Formats: sequence, C-alpha cells, structure tokens
Amino acid sequence: MIDYLVSVLTEGSIFAIMALGLNIIWGWSGDFDLAFYGYVALGAYMTLVLTIGPATSPTTYILGLSLPFPIAVAIAVISSMLLALIVGAIALRHLRGIYFSIVTLGAVYVLYTFAGQFVPLFNGYNGLSGLFDPMGDFFNLDFTSYPFFYLGLCVVVLCVVLFLVTRLSGSRFGLALRSLREDERAAAAFGRGIYVMKLKAYVIGAGIGGLGGALFAGYLSAFNPSAWSPVETIVLYAAILVGGRGSNRGVVLGVAVMVMGLQEATRYLPEIANQPSFAPAFRLILTGVILVLFIRFRPQGLLPERRLRDKDPAGTGGTAVAAGNAVAGATLDTGAA
Amino acid sequence: MTALLEVQDLHKHFGGVQAVTACSFTAAEGQITGLIGPNGAGKSTAIDLISGFKVPDTGTVRFEGKEVQGKAPHVVSRMGLIRTFQSPREWPGLSVLENLILACFEPRRERFWRSLWGPSRAEKERANEQLIHARAVLDEFGLLHLRNERAGNLSGGQKRLLEFGRIRMAEPRLVILDEPMGGVNPVLGERMASAVLGFVKAGTSVVIVEHNLPFIERVTDQVVVMAEGRVIAEAPFDQLRGNQAVVDAYLGEMPTYDDADA
Repeated sequence: MIDYLVSVLTEGSIFAIMALGLNIIWGWSGDFDLAFYGYVALGAYMTLVLTIGPATSPTTYILGLSLPFPIAVAIAVISSMLLALIVGAIALRHLRGIYFSIVTLGAVYVLYTFAGQFVPLFNGYNGLSGLFDPMGDFFNLDFTSYPFFYLGLCVVVLCVVLFLVTRLSGSRFGLALRSLREDERAAAAFGRGIYVMKLKAYVIGAGIGGLGGALFAGYLSAFNPSAWSPVETIVLYAAILVGGRGSNRGVVLGVAVMVMGLQEATRYLPEIANQPSFAPAFRLILTGVILVLFIRFRPQGLLPERRLRDKDPAGTGGTAVAAGNAVAGATLDTGAA
Repeated sequence: MTALLEVQDLHKHFGGVQAVTACSFTAAEGQITGLIGPNGAGKSTAIDLISGFKVPDTGTVRFEGKEVQGKAPHVVSRMGLIRTFQSPREWPGLSVLENLILACFEPRRERFWRSLWGPSRAEKERANEQLIHARAVLDEFGLLHLRNERAGNLSGGQKRLLEFGRIRMAEPRLVILDEPMGGVNPVLGERMASAVLGFVKAGTSVVIVEHNLPFIERVTDQVVVMAEGRVIAEAPFDQLRGNQAVVDAYLGEMPTYDDADA
C-alpha cells in the first residue's frame, strides 16, 4: 500500500512540474500549444541516452554516454528548450489561435514519428531502457528505500519550480505576458515586443516540461513511443483547466484532481464483460465530462488566477499601504500566484 | 511650433483598393490635431501606417525627426507614439489597476532574469509610486472604486475612460486617438473633452480621429481633412466652413457645438 502511495505521489509531482511548464505557455501567454508533450518526451529521451551508456547490439542510439544523472537532466532541459526555440520561432512568428495549435501538433507528430522510425536516434519503437535508480548508488540506497528518495527528489524539484514560477507569475514579466494573452494588439501599442516575449515564455515552459520529462525517465527507467503520445498533452490541459488557468497553485491542485485522483479512482473499476479496455476508455469519457462541466460552470477553475489587488480600502494614500504591507511593492510583486 | 509628426506622401493599397494616396500632413508639438473625413477616407489606414500596425507601400513618417514607417508597433510605441483603437482594447481578464500599471512600459523591470531575481529596493519604491500615481489617475477618471474589478466587466464608457487612464499613465510624446467618442453619451463626452485637453497639459500632443464634429471643433487646434485616401485640407476648424471641397466631401450642412447640446 505504501509503495503504491509513493508511486502515485511521485508521478503526481512529475506531472505537476510538467503542468506548471505548460501553464506558462497557455495560462500566461495564452498559446494553445499541442507540441508540449514533445518537449517532455525529448527531456526523457535525452536523459536516457546520456546516462545508460553505449548501445549494445541490436539496440542503437546516439550518444550513449554515462553521465551523472543531474548533468544529464540539465542537458535534457537545454535540449527541450532548443527544440522549443526552433518550433516556437516558426510557429509564433505570425500564427495565433488554432493555426498555432495545428502547426505545433504537426511539429510534435514529426518528432513522434522520427523517434519511432529513425532507429539510430532513440532506438525506434523499442525505445530506451536501463536507467535504474539514478543517484541511488551515490547515496547508497537499496531498492526498498530508493522510491522514497526519488519521491523526495521529485517533491523538492516541484517545490523549487513552484517557488520560481510563483515569483515569475507575480513579477512584471508575468504580468506583461498576461497582457499578451488578453489583447495582443493593445500590448504592442504599449511597447511590448509580442514575438520575443511569447518566444521567451514558450522556451521557458518547454524547459520546465523537459525537466518533468527527465524526472519521468528516471521514474520509469525506460521510455519508448508506446509510453507517450502527443495526446498526453490533453491530460495536462485538463489539469490546468480544472485547477485554474494561469494560477500556479491551481495547476498543482488540478494535477492532484485530474491526474492523481481520476487516474487512481478509475484504476480499480470492475472489468465489464471481459473488456480490458473499459477502464481506460471510461477514464477518458470521465475526463471529457469533467472538462465540459468546468468550461460551462466554472471556467476560471478551482483556484482562479489571482489579480493584483489594491488592499488599501480607500485607495487614496500611498503611506497607508506602505505601512500595512511593509512595502506596497510587495503587494504588487507577489499579488498574482 | 515644430512638427512632432510629419507624414509625407504615404501610399497604401489593398488589392485593387487604393486606401491611402499621397497622404501628407503634420501634427505640431503641444497641439491637438483632428483627422476627419467620410468613411473610407483612409483615416484608420493612415494611423495604422503611422503606428506601425501596417507597412506603407511608399512614403515616409517622421516622428521627432526620425523615420518610423515600417517599424514594428512596439518599436514605435517605445519611441513615444501610442495609439488607441476604434473599439476599446482593455486587457479584459486583468484588473483595472493592472491595466493602468501595465500601460507603463518598463523594459528593465520586465526582463526575465530581473523578474526571477526579484525587485530591487529602488524598483519596489518605483512600483509603489506607480501604484499611487495609478490611483490618482483612476480618481481623476472616476474609476477608483472599480480598481480591483476585472476590466472586462466595465461598461463601454468606462472602458473608454480606462483607455484614457492608460494614456495618462504611459505619458507618451504623442497619442493618436481613434474615434474615442464612439458610443459615448454627451455627459461622458464632456469629461473626455477635458481629458484630451488634459493630455496636452501633461505634455502629450494629440492626434484625434473623430466623426463628432462639435467635439473636434471644441478641442482641436488644427484639422486635417481626408477624402478618398488623400488630404484635401489642413486648417483650423473654423476655416473649414469656407472650404468648398471640404463641405462637398464631408461637412455638408454644418452643425455647431450649440446645436449638439440642444
């Protein structure tokens, strides 16, 4: 039971990291990116090829290094950001809305097909495996205590990511990004360089996605095209929408509800008439129903994005706020979460 | 009196439609310049060309002596030329206060690393000053009690005022107002007229596109009349009555400001 709980929490933390990345792209700057899971997958693939050592026949893959896990993760994140820079530079130049989504969907399918068909890259459909208990030897952990360590690692990384994105969210950078989401032409009229700002947000979000993918690789110890598909992005979107688009705490809650909660609640459904595909199908239907209900009745999500609030009741003086909140700047700079 | 904005021989066509033809005019520093003309005269296209939202086929736009035609909108905006749009373009999901604060473009504070690192002491003070300034501006436009409200929830007239508030916050050298009086009642119109005059006092010169002639008569120092893509007259408003081309193209029977009030 405890093993089960640990694995659910580990997976939940990893998905929360990914969702926080996607939230920057969709929640803040407002681009419905369908390539996101590609950056997650690239992060996972790169972590594997950088840690599992050279390929032995019949497997083939590039690199095949035996780098320490943290270094591999760092390189994996940078790879995801580079790929996002290329895709984003093309897709964000002129395309918006559904046209942007279609191009990113195309991009992720290119990556998916490439990873599957082009064997020398990541060993094709057989994928990569062999990353067992990263950093376990370094800390002298056996296989019973290792899952606790990895859970701790994922939770710590999640907390760091959450801290950083919360900081960004309430900053001028985060606020300015939201102005792009709300009205791009007005944002340009007030001096914001739309393309560069959107590209920045896109690359940062993809980097966080790559980080989630790298941790996912360490958790699964293997990765291949049957372990992911571009559609997985939708699960992350569902979590963001239910939790509260643009709100970091909301996104974490959304992952708890939609990824951990829903997934696990439907895991033990009785099999109906020997239909093994019933449970996964039912889960998808349930996800769809919940999404529709939220879009209809609570589009802002469970924990809506917070707006900057002027807490001075009269709103006339400056000193009152300064006294009340140490520095009013603090109200401004941490207002949104 | 120096020309802040100098438009010279602008041309722009869309397919077979010649939207702007040999458009030339100037807007002087410290003045309010009206831009009027019938629908389809090319006024909106002209301001799109000036503000960088469209690229002219030929011609030059000089702002403070520097050529800006073909530059990106945000580049033109950073030089101190801000435009508004025919329908108010607030950031609907942000609060009224956020709308005002974001009107000030601050490249340093908006940098990614700067934002990640956190604001310095001076920047916190700056943010505080900005908040106080924003409150004063909101108070001036009667929006103070709505400052924490979602901007998208405001009424049409309030959104117009919010737009003006953003201009006050941004303090550009020149603002181009695109039909600010569209759908605005006379009482609010009075408030907006004084706001436009207030821009000039605060050091922002104004170019204003408007169909409301009493309003134009009241606030402008100089009026540019466009018809069929070209400028047909450039004179103070009271001299336009005697200009037959202007009367034929646009004015017809001339209403006065008193008529509109009655």
